[in-house]
Amino acid sequence: MRRKWMFTFILLIVGFMVAVQYNTVQQPEERDTRDLWAIRNELAKERKLHSELLTEVRELDKTIGKYNASEGASAGKALADTVHDLHEQAGMIDQTGPGIVIDVVPSEESIAFGTPLHEVSPELLTRFVNEVNRFKGIDMEIDGKRVTGLSAVRDINGETTVNGLAVSLPPFQIKILSADLKSSEKLYNFLQSSSILDDFYLDDFVLEVGQPQSEVTINGRIEQFENHFLKELPKGG
Amino acid sequence: MWLPILGLILGVSLGFLSDIQIPQEYGNYLSIAVLAALDTLLGGIRAHLQRVYDDQVFITGFFFNILLAAGLAFLGVHLGVDLYLAAIFAFGVRLFQNLAVIRRVLLTKWSEYRKVSTTNTSK
Repeated sequence: MRRKWMFTFILLIVGFMVAVQYNTVQQPEERDTRDLWAIRNELAKERKLHSELLTEVRELDKTIGKYNASEGASAGKALADTVHDLHEQAGMIDQTGPGIVIDVVPSEESIAFGTPLHEVSPELLTRFVNEVNRFKGIDMEIDGKRVTGLSAVRDINGETTVNGLAVSLPPFQIKILSADLKSSEKLYNFLQSSSILDDFYLDDFVLEVGQPQSEVTINGRIEQFENHFLKELPKGG
Repeated sequence: MWLPILGLILGVSLGFLSDIQIPQEYGNYLSIAVLAALDTLLGGIRAHLQRVYDDQVFITGFFFNILLAAGLAFLGVHLGVDLYLAAIFAFGVRLFQNLAVIRRVLLTKWSEYRKVSTTNTSK
C-alpha cells in the first residue's frame, strides 16, 4: 500500500513537471496588448494613408481630365507633361526649390588629433537617409548623387557609394529639397535636435545644417532605370 | 494500479490549471529534470516487477537524480560545455534499458500465465 502511495506521489510530481514543461515550450500566443493610445495612433496612421491616397486619386483624375479636354490638338503636349511629371517624380531631372544644404565635414577634434580622414560609412549614410525620409515629399542629393526610392547606399570594394557612384571623402554636401519653405524649416529643426548629429560625431564628422533657403538646386539621376517588367504596346493596340 | 494513474492525471491537470511558465533559459533544466524523473520512475517499476524494489532507494534516487541532472546542466552552462547532453544521453539509454527489461518481464509473466491457463483447460 505504501508503495502505491509512493508511486502516486512521484507520478503526481512527474505529471506536474511535464505539464509545466509543456506550458513553457508552447509559445504564448500573440495577444493584442495595444492600449487605447496605440490604437489611436494606428488609426491616425491609416487616416493619413487614406488622405494620401485620395490626393493621388485627385491628381490622376486631373490628368484624365486634361487628356479628355485636350483630345486632338494638344494630346501630345498632355502626354509630354505627364512624362515630365513622371520623370520629376522618379528624380531624373534637375530640380530647384526651397530646401536646406548640409555640409559634412571632419570634426575639429579629429583634425586636431590628426585622425586620418576616412569615408562616411554606408551604415551611417543609410541611417541618415532613413532619418530624413521620415519626412514625406522630400528630394535628396548626396554629394551630387540623387537619392530616389531605388537608390542603394552600399559598400562597393571598400568605397561608400550611392547609386553605384562613389561618395567622395568629406567635406561634401547633402542637399534636401522640400515642398515649401515651411517644411524645410521643420526639417531643419528636426535635424538640429536629431541624434543623427551625434552618430556622425562619433565617426569624427560634423553635420553643418544650413538655414533653409528658398532656392536650392539638386541634380537629376544620371543613370537610366532598368525596366524588366513593363512592355511597350504595339502602336494602335 | 489506478491510484498512481490518478496521481499522474492529477499532476498533469494541476500543471495545466496553474498555468505556470518558467523562463525560457531554465527550460533546459526542467526538461532534464523531467527526463531524470521518468528514468527513476521506470527504474522503480522495473525493480517492482523484479521484486527488488526498495522505498528508500526509489525516493532518494528520484530526487537525487533530478538534482544531479539539473546541477550537471548548470555546471555545463557555466563551463561552456553542453554537459546536459551527457545527462540526456545517460538517462535516455537507461530509460530504454528499463523499458526493455519491463517488457521482457511482462512477456515472461504473460507466457507463464498462458501456460498455466492451457494446462488448466487441458486437465
